[in-house]
Amino acid sequence: MRPGFRMTIGDEPGGVARAAAAFAGFAEAHALPDAVRRSLQIALDELLRNAVAYGSPGPAGGEVTVEVALDPDRVTATVTDNGRPFDPFGVAAPDTTLGVEERRIGGLGIHLVREMMDEVSYQRRGDRNVVTLVKSLAEGSP
Amino acid sequence: MNIGTRAHGDVTVVAFVGNLDSRTSPEAQQAIDGILAGGARKLVVDFTALDYISSAGLRVLLGTAKRLSGSGGALRLCGLNETVREVFDISGFSRILAVFATEADALAGF
Repeated sequence: MRPGFRMTIGDEPGGVARAAAAFAGFAEAHALPDAVRRSLQIALDELLRNAVAYGSPGPAGGEVTVEVALDPDRVTATVTDNGRPFDPFGVAAPDTTLGVEERRIGGLGIHLVREMMDEVSYQRRGDRNVVTLVKSLAEGSP
Repeated sequence: MNIGTRAHGDVTVVAFVGNLDSRTSPEAQQAIDGILAGGARKLVVDFTALDYISSAGLRVLLGTAKRLSGSGGALRLCGLNETVREVFDISGFSRILAVFATEADALAGF
């Protein structure tokens, strides 16, 4: 079985921090290179915050699951939520050439995820949004 | 996260230790609000001990830069590691914020 972990958080704000701590422990246990660990920590912060903030289907309570698996050449992270259908990668990239006064922060988080991961994908599976991230362990990947 | 501040003449240096993500950015925002409320107009943010930054942290920096430029002040940053530098490059923040290698470089001529 591949090393990794899986945890489900509710839509409470503390859930993102719990998942972040679990990932940090996993990264340390498997001595992930700093650049790989940090990229994934950033990507998970963006996606989990989005899922918790916008993914909740209502008072019934949102559920966000994060699953991380380590292969010899890559780390794969999957974030699943039961919110309304939403493809984060379907949003246009922000204009990163604007000056300080014109800049808006919206869309920047997902832009970071797209650029810092080697592969990203979105699928709607039943009543779930499934976002998969792949970060290569090879030298010289983005 | 740990946040340390020190003064160099009329420049305030604020050092963030740890990371700036959705969990810690509210604390960072609070610390900066306090510094600006105290009248500081020249701010150096020292990232030497910062591990990573996500868009929540970028939001704090952008807001701070806007407020300072609106009041005749300025924001400078220093000590970015490889990952923070990458985030700045991808987001375009390298072009809109004043980034220096070291604190001494950031203080020079400020």
